[in-house]
Parts: sequence; structure tokens; C-alpha cells
Amino acid sequence: MSGRGTDSPDGSRSGERELTCEESLARVYEYLDGELDIGEHEAVKHHLEKCRKCYPHYDFERLFLDYVHELGAEEESRPGLRERVLEMLAAEAG
Amino acid sequence: MSIPAEQRQREFEGEALIHLDALYGLALRLSGGDEPRAEDLVQEAVLKAYRAWDRFEAGTNCRAWLMTILRNTFINQFRQQKARPSPVEFDQVAERPSSDTLYDADPEGRIFDRMIDDEVIAAIDALPDEFRVAVVLSDLEGLSYQEVAALMGIPVGTVKSRLFRARKRLQERLYDYAVEMGYLK
Repeated sequence: MSGRGTDSPDGSRSGERELTCEESLARVYEYLDGELDIGEHEAVKHHLEKCRKCYPHYDFERLFLDYVHELGAEEESRPGLRERVLEMLAAEAG
Repeated sequence: MSIPAEQRQREFEGEALIHLDALYGLALRLSGGDEPRAEDLVQEAVLKAYRAWDRFEAGTNCRAWLMTILRNTFINQFRQQKARPSPVEFDQVAERPSSDTLYDADPEGRIFDRMIDDEVIAAIDALPDEFRVAVVLSDLEGLSYQEVAALMGIPVGTVKSRLFRARKRLQERLYDYAVEMGYLK
């Protein structure tokens, strides 16, 4: 990442530049997906969990992804599938 | 050393075929709700697993082993099909005004407690292939961007952008559904 140590748009100044709202929200999915490197993960976490404007967006996306992920465990049955698979295996075994 | 045929069949039935519904569930999501195609996919994956049963290490996670075989079987077919141009380009679909978003209507995400799973599954099934497959592998199956990229044969950046667009599209569908059902005004 470039631009470390420069002024952030809100005028604050620090050794490690704080991310802006826009930069943090642009990384919200990568953050939630666990795809950021440690430094960036911490920077995004720091912003999202402290910023009153960004936190609700982050929380909403977290709930959304948790909800979609839970659907992944769903099993589905198809009538006759087991019987057809067994027939196929019997034919394979000769 | 190969196992006698009868023992092999017994073992396979007892250890592998108990996961048939999980395999079919994944096949159905990958194929966008196409039942005959999902069954073909399960049959092909099960046959491959049966032929490779000697190589399955007893005591390891049989479900995960089978799911990997099914994913790879699907992806091989998918990548062959995708060698031809896709008829629908997601990018051509107009984006709606940013004010009509699920977040704006329901920032606390209360809708997720009220949503009927079948509606969300239908919304996932309706995504264009490239986007649906990325969502199923990443969001439902929990694969990393790198794993999805390797399977689909696309760059990691493309995985990211497909996931972003697909998730926003799903949120749009959920918004429409919630309004239709009177959950949101």
C-alpha cells in the first residue's frame, strides 16, 4: 500500500496513516473474507469498528455474508437418486 | 493392493453414499438449480470417487473428499463451456440508483431473520454463471479467493470484482423481495 505517513483527509496525522471511510469500505468484503494481510486487516478493523458512519455498513455486510454462508450447509434430496446411483455402481462393478 | 469388489461396494455405500444429499445440494447450487444437470454431476462425481476409492484414506474426511471431486468435475465442464462466449454479460445490466439499497432500507439487517431461504437460493441460482459459481465456491463453500481463482482459471482480482457485483445483485433481489412481501416499505 502506498501513501503511508501522509495526512489523512480528515486532517489527523500519525506515523501510520489512518484509512479514510472510503478506503475502509472499499475493503469491507476482503476484510470480512479474511483476505487482507495482517497490517491492512488491522488498519481496516481499526477504522470500521471505531467509525460511527462506517460501522453500520460493516455490520450489515457481516450479517449478510453470515446469512448467505449458512445456506451453504443445506442438503437437498432428489427422489430416486440413491437407487439410480446404486444401479450405476452395480453396472460398474459388473 | 485392491479391495475385493463386494467389500469395496459395502464400504463405499456406508461411508460415501451417506453424503449423497450434501453432494446433490452443492451440485444444485453450482448448476443454478438445474435438477437433471445436478443429478448428472452427482452421478459422474460418485463414479469417479468409486473408481478412486482405493486411494481414499480411511479415517480422513470423506465428505470433503467427495465435495472436492464434485467441484472439480463441475469446474472441468464449466471451463469447457466457457471456452465459448457467454450469452449474458452481467456488466450490461443497468445498475439501479444507489438510494434504493437494502442497506438504506434496513441498515440493521433485520430482514435476514425474516427471509425465506428458498427466495435467497432462487436469487443465487438466477445469477449469471460466472458470478453464481464464484458466490457458491466462496460464500457457500468457504474457499479462499486464491482457491476460487485457481479453480475458475481467472485472476484473483476478477474473483473479487465478481463477488462484489454478485453480492450487490443478491442484495438488490432481497430488497425487491422484501418490498414485495411487505417487510420493507
